[in-house]
Amino acid sequence: MFPIVAHEELAPKVHRMSVKAPIVAEKSKPGQFVILIVDEKGERVPFTISGWDASKGTVDFVYIEVGKTTCRLGSLKPGDQLAHFVGPLGKPAEIDHYGHVLAVASGYGASAILPVLKALKEKENRITTILQAPDRERAFGCAELEEVSDRLVLAIGTPGEDMTVSATRLLRKLLANHPQNPIHRVIVMGSLCLMRVISEMTRPYAIKTMVHLTPLMVDGTGMCGACRLSVKGNNRFACVHGPEFDGHEVDGWDVLMARRCTYADESVLQQSFQCRGCSQW
Amino acid sequence: MTETKDPGPSREETEKKKGRMNLNRVEMPKQEPEDRRRNFDEVATGYTYEMAMEEASRCIQCKKRNCQQGCPVNIDIPDFIKHLQDGNIEAASRVLKAKTSLPGICGRVCPQELQCENSCTLNKKGAPVAIGRLERFIADWERSQGAVSTPEIAPSTGKCVAVVGTGPSGLTVASDLAIRGHQVTMFEALHVAGGVLMYGIPEFRLPKEIVQREVQYVASLGVDIQLDTVIGINYSLDELLNTKYHAVYLATGAGLPQFLRVPGENLNMVYSANEFLTRTNLMKAYLYPEYATPVKMGKKVAVIGGGNVAMDSARCAVRLGAQEVYVVYRRTRQEMPARLEEVENAEEEGIHFHFLCNPTGFISDGRNNVSAMELIRMKLGEPDASGRRRPVPIEGSEYTMDVDTVIVSLGTSPNPLISSTTPDLETSRWGTVVTDERGKTSKARVWAGGDIVSGGATVISAMGEGRRAASAMHEFLSQ
Repeated sequence: MFPIVAHEELAPKVHRMSVKAPIVAEKSKPGQFVILIVDEKGERVPFTISGWDASKGTVDFVYIEVGKTTCRLGSLKPGDQLAHFVGPLGKPAEIDHYGHVLAVASGYGASAILPVLKALKEKENRITTILQAPDRERAFGCAELEEVSDRLVLAIGTPGEDMTVSATRLLRKLLANHPQNPIHRVIVMGSLCLMRVISEMTRPYAIKTMVHLTPLMVDGTGMCGACRLSVKGNNRFACVHGPEFDGHEVDGWDVLMARRCTYADESVLQQSFQCRGCSQW
Repeated sequence: MTETKDPGPSREETEKKKGRMNLNRVEMPKQEPEDRRRNFDEVATGYTYEMAMEEASRCIQCKKRNCQQGCPVNIDIPDFIKHLQDGNIEAASRVLKAKTSLPGICGRVCPQELQCENSCTLNKKGAPVAIGRLERFIADWERSQGAVSTPEIAPSTGKCVAVVGTGPSGLTVASDLAIRGHQVTMFEALHVAGGVLMYGIPEFRLPKEIVQREVQYVASLGVDIQLDTVIGINYSLDELLNTKYHAVYLATGAGLPQFLRVPGENLNMVYSANEFLTRTNLMKAYLYPEYATPVKMGKKVAVIGGGNVAMDSARCAVRLGAQEVYVVYRRTRQEMPARLEEVENAEEEGIHFHFLCNPTGFISDGRNNVSAMELIRMKLGEPDASGRRRPVPIEGSEYTMDVDTVIVSLGTSPNPLISSTTPDLETSRWGTVVTDERGKTSKARVWAGGDIVSGGATVISAMGEGRRAASAMHEFLSQ
């Protein structure tokens, strides 16, 4: 069993959970994820690691209450136990000195991107971060993002409007100044829709754009193939070959988004963080 | 030196036996097809005491013991049947346990018709003794008595062994070495031990409770089982060898699903058999929403492939409410790798077979869900490396078939997690780990067996490889 050591609400329906799992904390790297099972009848659900402390043996992740399991997680308190917790899974994010890195985050990505940005900061990159949120109340994690970014810009979407509008408008401005004020690399962590739109925008500029894909998974170790996607025409599993991919090399975004929604009617309660750009909604 | 020849039974005795020889085996009761199509309960319900006694009485206790030689783990078959004939089930169980820790599993999923039963003397004249059914009876009887006997465990050798993977091969090595006094730790990536016995083989063929009882039996021998631990991630192979373990056995199976690599294969509702069976069996999606994992099932289902996994997938699909299920196989019935018994069970349950055709693509309904499949008809050409005639496409024979669910069951290959993090472990071009005949790999103190070596075989052959490796490892550890 894996005890919950801390649990806090970051915004309405958004929580950060810290779990004692020493062998996971020991090996965690930026961009990796864990799979947990709440109880013996629970499902296996992946979450990107948002932080860890190897000395304390704890691993943190941020989740949004949208489905059965995340709502169940929301009801747990420190001292409660998770039945299973395995990781770190997936390949770590690529970290190097690139120059000027543009990070775009939305939803869980606002926290999940932190370890990646910290590692990039250590490599002396200049980091501009755009945080996309539907409204100010749900723009969480600003202080931590500000700490690791040279500049943090909030992109607040008006409810009822396409959620990606604000981030894309800001990106358009930045791209207009490229290459005078160059962007060397883009990292996006958020909804599939946001990652797709940003990838399409940077493609004409040939700015390497890394996306962190979140297809459905079952085992998370390369066994089931549920998370497969096409990358430059080759089948890749997000759980072992990813979750970080070059957004310009991902083909078949429509299929990826459709597969992501296979069980939406079963497990996802109607919530405001859902991706409205996806044809399935 | 001349060998003293065993005089064997006198002619008179033999004739007497022949006269009594019963050539018809006792059938095992099964759920009726119409009933079992609607539930995940075990299809074959097992022998009663009387049935087992009658079947055991058919064994003529011949001197040749061909059956035992036909068993990959060399179970003393005539001896356990003799105990049954004498009505001593407990003694029969001890004979079984001397060679297998998993009798309830072997009795259900071994291909006995190709092994022990194929070698049975009675097989020349009529139906062989139903050895598998008797093995199952004994295991179930012992379980129902609640008193599971454990063998004597040798004094501790002070040597530690890591077994990676908790499927049939790993469980065999773990129990063999624990009995010999070594301290064994098993590592399992998933949240439950048993490997393919849990995620692959369906409940109606192998109840998960039975798997867990036999896993518990192995644990009762002093084996420590660490779940949720991925070797290659949490600990590398070298970390295991450099910390407390004197030897390692790799038995991580063949979990990487293969695909057709045709257009549209990633469309929604195209499953790998691994995903479909893992959701259904391991995660118990057939009990959704009591269990939280769902599995979506359409009305018209195509299962691609002709092995046991394809049969399991098709039969799960029927039970999950599919109206029509088609097994699509590129060769003919004769070349199908599935056990005959499973093919017959599938047919009884209303599953259709399409032979000599192969999918060339999948078509979307416009919303990225699969709605049809393009196929081409095949004919059999020259034999290939496996000795089976190679299927060749017939030009111009393309056609389409409407389907709303596809389950791709084309076999699996070993997961590269360990080999990719262990540069000095020799692998073949198929990704399997290379070993000698006793399971020794190219890397010092590391043995391997089961599907990670064979690329995909049976539960019992994985156990047989485990048995051989365990004896080699024991020799090494005893030096």
